[in-house]
Amino acid sequence: MPAASGQLVVFAVASFLALAFALLMVVQRSPVRSVLSLVVTFFALSVLAILLSAPFLAALQIFVYAGAILVLFLFVIMLLNLKEEAADEDDRPVQRTLGLLAALALGGLLAGATLRAPAPGGVPSPRLIPAPDEIPALGRLLFSDYLLAFEALSLLLLVAAVGALLLSKRKFE
Amino acid sequence: MTGTLPGVAPMAVPPGAFLVVATLLFAIGLAGALLKRNALSIFLSIELMLNAVNLLFLTYARMRGDLAGQMIVFFVIAVAAAEAAVGLAIFVALFRVRRTVDVDKIALLKW
Amino acid sequence: MNRLWLIPILPLAGFVVNGLVALVASSSRAEKELGADHPLAPLPYSQRLFHGVVGVGSVGLAAVLSFAALVPYVLTSLKSPEGIAPVVQHVYTWMAAGDYSVDVAFRLDALSALMLSFVTFVGTLIHVYSVGYMQKDEGYGRYFAYLNLFMFAMLMLVLADNLPLLFVGWEGVGLCSYLLIGYSYDQDFAAAAGKKAFIANRVGDFGMVLGIFGVFALFGTADFSFVDLARRQVLAGGAPLGVYAVCVLLFLGACGKSAQIPLYVWLPDAMAGPTPVSALIHAATMVTAGVYLVARCSALFVLAPDALTLVAWIGAGTAIFAATIGLAQNDIKKVLAYSTVSQLGYMFLACGVGAFSAGIFHVFTHAFFKACLFLGSGSVILSLHHEQDMRKMGGLAARIPQTFRTMLAATLAIAGIFPLAGFFSKDAILGATAASNHWALYAVGLFTAGLTAFYMFRLVSMTFFGKARGHAAEAHESPATMTIPLIILAALSVVAGFVGIPAALGGSDRIGRFLEASVAHPEIHEMSRTLEVFLMLLSLGVAVTGLVWAWRWYGKAGGPEEAVSPQAHAFYEKTGALGRLVANKWNVDEGIEALVLSPFRKIGTFLWRGIDALFIDGIANASAFLVELAGDLLRFFTTGHVRNYALAFTLGVAVFLVYVWVR
Repeated sequence: MPAASGQLVVFAVASFLALAFALLMVVQRSPVRSVLSLVVTFFALSVLAILLSAPFLAALQIFVYAGAILVLFLFVIMLLNLKEEAADEDDRPVQRTLGLLAALALGGLLAGATLRAPAPGGVPSPRLIPAPDEIPALGRLLFSDYLLAFEALSLLLLVAAVGALLLSKRKFE
Repeated sequence: MTGTLPGVAPMAVPPGAFLVVATLLFAIGLAGALLKRNALSIFLSIELMLNAVNLLFLTYARMRGDLAGQMIVFFVIAVAAAEAAVGLAIFVALFRVRRTVDVDKIALLKW
Repeated sequence: MNRLWLIPILPLAGFVVNGLVALVASSSRAEKELGADHPLAPLPYSQRLFHGVVGVGSVGLAAVLSFAALVPYVLTSLKSPEGIAPVVQHVYTWMAAGDYSVDVAFRLDALSALMLSFVTFVGTLIHVYSVGYMQKDEGYGRYFAYLNLFMFAMLMLVLADNLPLLFVGWEGVGLCSYLLIGYSYDQDFAAAAGKKAFIANRVGDFGMVLGIFGVFALFGTADFSFVDLARRQVLAGGAPLGVYAVCVLLFLGACGKSAQIPLYVWLPDAMAGPTPVSALIHAATMVTAGVYLVARCSALFVLAPDALTLVAWIGAGTAIFAATIGLAQNDIKKVLAYSTVSQLGYMFLACGVGAFSAGIFHVFTHAFFKACLFLGSGSVILSLHHEQDMRKMGGLAARIPQTFRTMLAATLAIAGIFPLAGFFSKDAILGATAASNHWALYAVGLFTAGLTAFYMFRLVSMTFFGKARGHAAEAHESPATMTIPLIILAALSVVAGFVGIPAALGGSDRIGRFLEASVAHPEIHEMSRTLEVFLMLLSLGVAVTGLVWAWRWYGKAGGPEEAVSPQAHAFYEKTGALGRLVANKWNVDEGIEALVLSPFRKIGTFLWRGIDALFIDGIANASAFLVELAGDLLRFFTTGHVRNYALAFTLGVAVFLVYVWVR
């Protein structure tokens, strides 16, 4: 593991990037730019995941999220040829104000709640991290304790694929 | 919230920091979901919220020394993928009918 | 003697049999005859025979049993100087609750024996008369069924040993009165008259029921033995207020049943029923139930002298009031109806001055001559094909002689001509009134006697004398089933008085002494014999004057082109507005309508429109309106914009978090 101070620096940079580009994503009017901002955010999050001793998931994040999902988003945006949001078309000022307030409020509340929450208790399980053979350990968990969920997940992916196919058809024959 | 459990390697970065970042990201994502008009932008914000939650889970997994948290994240990512597929398919179909993805213009189910 | 219960049961059985057969037969007849306006055909002979035999037979058999029971009783009691104890037959315990119990028990004593005798006898005669009178009517079976039911109720009333059982009979006769008055239920005025009778009775029954409750409350029992308890109680410490109240309440019930002021209004309207019904129910039996009640409870009334005074004054007032109305009526049955009301007033006058046995004596004689008069009028009506207006009669004396002779006899009896029955009974009443120094009441009674003689002879003159008006020239005498009862009743009207010849004329007042055993006989001051005879002659003179006056005015009643009686007409003109008021029955019905019925209707309408429609419906409508309003307000939340929904989620989560945090 890198040295402690190094970790702090990496953390600071990564979290800064994540927050900044997340904000950018929300503020941007063009959907393409939003997607790209989000990509950067995801990369930063990956780094944070590595810091948290979850390298496999960090890789998964990049492969699946940044690489597949957001690319899909880009495809759709291009396909639909979506334009920028026009600023002066918004006729729901109340919604905007309230929405902002609500988000801020909830954010604050959540932050406070999280910080004040008591430390997680209990006995540490034998499945400790960081483990040198993390991936095998994950694999073993997946196919033992979480087998049902795993199978359901595969079914879910199948359903999603079929559903997406059906929804995009022009005509039903 | 004072740190890792006894028996788990201590963290260099205080776990609270991670939690704050995750919460902030979640709030930003929530703001985006409420404020944007473009359906895809809203969807992107929702993805951001999901990721914030992922970060949260990873942090707690590290604090407890429990791989179950990482398992959850694994599932969340998979489900998010499925959800994105179906959601975008819906948007495509919607666009075909209404020629727009502005949610303000698709308010049909009203009184 | 242990078969007393059979006496009411036989007519009840007759009712059940006749009723069922009539019901079944009429429904099968209705199926055969198609169309709603088939003519109302009389029943076939066989059916009439059946109904007649069952109807007359059940009552006749009850009459035979009655006499079998009471003749030995009467003979035995006449032998011993103070009469013998009443015979009580206990059938079964009807209600028992704690200390109170009410039994089905029948009582035969002097009073009920006397009532039983004429109720069953006159009842049988009228049933026989009805066989002839109603023979062309389609509802023959129904008629006899109801008539039998009435006899059952009346006999229950007369034989009851306690007030609740008497009340059962009381209500029963009221019901049958309603059923029989409204016998022609397809005629509006008959149905309305039935309702009026029932409702007016109900007002009286309200008092009666409260009186019975009072008796229970005061004495702990409603057997007729309570009068002994009352007497003992009062001798111990004066008459409590409760006794007065009970007497007044019971008298209110009697007013309803016996048509005294102010509850008499149903009796003239009740003439809408068939004439035999009028004879039986509204002359001889049901209307005397009130007098019977007062006589039964005479010991109680004696303990409340002010209540007795009330009874006397209402009786006398009713007597003269009804007599004045009777003067101007042109319908033959209405004259007789008002005459009945007036004579009932005499009976209550007698009770009111303490001469209860004189009142019952008058009940006894009145049953005979009034029934004879009603049945006679029925004969007249039938022979003129249902004509009831006396202005369209006349000259019938030669054409229907038997009816004429019997009615004349009964008229002389009611007018109080010596030595017919009415003379003795009316004289007993007037004598007692004078003897107890109620001279004002005596004057009223005497004047009313004159009026009675006048209007009764007016009736006879307009009907039988003078020239024949209308269809009177074609009248035929009625069949034997009708004339034979008339003859029997007329004969009784002549001789029935002889059971009560007063001491002043050398008799022994047998009936008075006989009744002493069961009715109170308070001290009546002795009158000198000379005074008594003088008063008798005075009343006789007044009666004769009335008769002669009526003869002079109506005896040579005119034909159709001229007024029936020019002198009467001139007199009527002279009395002007007062005359018109009397002719219109003193506008009593209109008065009741305005003072009682109209306000009630207005209250009812107000409660309906104001409260029910506005208020209660308003509440229901308002709640519906509020729900609608809430819905209208709430639907604004369904905007259709997902952003709003998301906002709602967020706010909800925030609130929840705050809540959890705060806790």
